[in-house]
Amino acid sequence: MRLRYILKLSFLHLVRSWRSTIVLSVMVISAVASLIFLASLAIGTNDAMIRNSIGLFSGHISGSDIPPRIDTEILAVQGVEHVLVRRQQRFLLWTDGIFEPVLLMAVNPLQEQQSTALWKKTVAGRYLQPGEDGIYLNQETAARLHLSVGGWVHLGTFPGDILKTLTVVGIYRTGISQLDQGLAFCPNEAFPSAEGLITTASFLQEGSSTDEIEQHYKRLIPSGKFRAWTEFMPDLKQLIDLNFVCMAIVMILVFALVSVGISCAFLIFTLKNLREHGIMKTMGIMPVDSTLFLICQIGMLTLCAATVGMVAGVFAVILFAKVGIDLTSLTSHNQYFVVSGVIYPRLTAVSLLPPPVLAIIFGLAAALWPSLYINRKSPADILRTV
Amino acid sequence: MIEILNVSKNYTSGRGHITALADISLSFEKGQSSVLAGKSGSGKTTLLNCIGALEKPDNGKILCNGRDICTFNQKQRALFQRREIGFVFQAANLLPWLTVAENLQFPLEMNGIRGKEQTRRISGLLATFGLAGYDTAMPGELSGGEAQRVAFARAIAHKPALLLADEPTASLDSATGYQLIQLMLSLCADQRTTLIIATHDIELIEMTDRKIYLKDGHLETKI
Ligand SMILES: Nc1ncnc2c1ncn2[C@@H]1O[C@H](COP(=O)(O)OP(=O)(O)OP(=O)(O)O)[C@@H](O)[C@H]1O
Ligand SMILES: [Mg+2]
Repeated sequence: MRLRYILKLSFLHLVRSWRSTIVLSVMVISAVASLIFLASLAIGTNDAMIRNSIGLFSGHISGSDIPPRIDTEILAVQGVEHVLVRRQQRFLLWTDGIFEPVLLMAVNPLQEQQSTALWKKTVAGRYLQPGEDGIYLNQETAARLHLSVGGWVHLGTFPGDILKTLTVVGIYRTGISQLDQGLAFCPNEAFPSAEGLITTASFLQEGSSTDEIEQHYKRLIPSGKFRAWTEFMPDLKQLIDLNFVCMAIVMILVFALVSVGISCAFLIFTLKNLREHGIMKTMGIMPVDSTLFLICQIGMLTLCAATVGMVAGVFAVILFAKVGIDLTSLTSHNQYFVVSGVIYPRLTAVSLLPPPVLAIIFGLAAALWPSLYINRKSPADILRTV
Repeated sequence: MIEILNVSKNYTSGRGHITALADISLSFEKGQSSVLAGKSGSGKTTLLNCIGALEKPDNGKILCNGRDICTFNQKQRALFQRREIGFVFQAANLLPWLTVAENLQFPLEMNGIRGKEQTRRISGLLATFGLAGYDTAMPGELSGGEAQRVAFARAIAHKPALLLADEPTASLDSATGYQLIQLMLSLCADQRTTLIIATHDIELIEMTDRKIYLKDGHLETKI
């Protein structure tokens, strides 16, 4: 039999038994659409965790040991949105005979506010302003020094050596221990030393490759140390990988179930239409042709249904990507959602393609059972029993 | 020319051992019309199925133009059925999701008869069987007699050498059945198609050249 004719027969069978075709399609459409949405949501969740974690302070790539002579402008390569430059040095803070060591960071307050979200974590007072002799202090250190907003603190390298006196303009708390312990900020102009280690925080544009830019940086400044967020936040990296593995397992399980469903449904249809298969056998249809006939039917059905499911899934993702899904109430105590609990589902090849591809592969596998059944059954038995 | 040599067929079922055919020997000349008559359970369907290679006899040979169809493998069997045989059963012969014309197209496609020749044959068959204008009708919309006419038309569409009909008139009233068989007999005579009809319809038995009676799997009388 010509394949074209088998395709025509399959098409006619599907169209003319449209009720059963629709019932089967609904199963595939809903599975594909919901999995595309779920996968996009998982990617959106990963995005949100990365965005929250790097957006608070560190950027996607953090640099240290940058030689002072180097113009950090060269780090603004293609794919990089902003590069923040900070100088840092250990100092001693004291008031009323209480001493606390801190790592003081000199920052450009305007740029920091533009690119990072630390200023949103202010619990008292406000963030720094350029040029002022102010200090922005973590809550823990402030409490130890019995400081509140408006109070002042001496700064030096050893007790008694007052290099500068700064006014506390703001106190913050992030919930992340690295940022909440022994860290303080002041505007560049208020930094009491001409030296200090230069560090950088690069924020990348969406879709840029962190690894490529990191490698590029290492070539640009060989003596500098550059680390991507995947290195300095291995816990987050693992969480994201785990998320992908879970998603893959869910997809495979869902389609295995859907394909068992399709297979059962097709077997029931085949049993219901067993006489037709018997009649075709008496007309000399070969086992390969019967198998192809079933495969073409299931193939066409899953192909069409997967396409419709894909469109529906994409539509849902686009809709929710606009408004976002606010899960703040579920994420407020979570360090990976310090800035915002809004998740924007995002379509990528990983979230878009596997659901329909799996639907078609599993769908075709679902044709095997009914065709085995048909091919093993003798036409005489079929015609006698049905 | 079909020769049946010492064919027997037994079944084992819940009722025990059943001899459906017991050492049957028969031959059918090309173009001859025969009727297989006998009571219910006498083995008519079993014999037709063996001749049409739908079932394999336990013993014996069935020679069709000198070739023993009992030794055919699956592919040879399918090709034999596709080219040489047309089947008509008591009812529900048609593929319900194909129109009348598409049902007639099926055996032609299977035998590689396509294009103009296919169209010509389909319209010829529709006219011959009084089905003009029925080409786009679905089987579900046909009466029993019309459906059976389509089934006959489909069974001879590819001009098979052998037409096997198992109680083709059982679900029709006698006048309709009579007309249909009359038509089949004349068409088979024209095309030199060997026709074997299994039936217990007395009227029908009287219409053919040859009558074969089966009783409990045995040949009773040969006329
Ligand atoms: N697959 C089977 N398993 C068991 N017994 C069978 C099977 N097929 C046929 N038989 C038995 O073989 C015998 C002959 O059956 P067959 O169908 O050939 O009779 P028939 O002459 O066509 O009867 P009817 O006129 O009622 O159609 C019957 O006794 C039947 O019960
Ligand atoms: Mg019978």
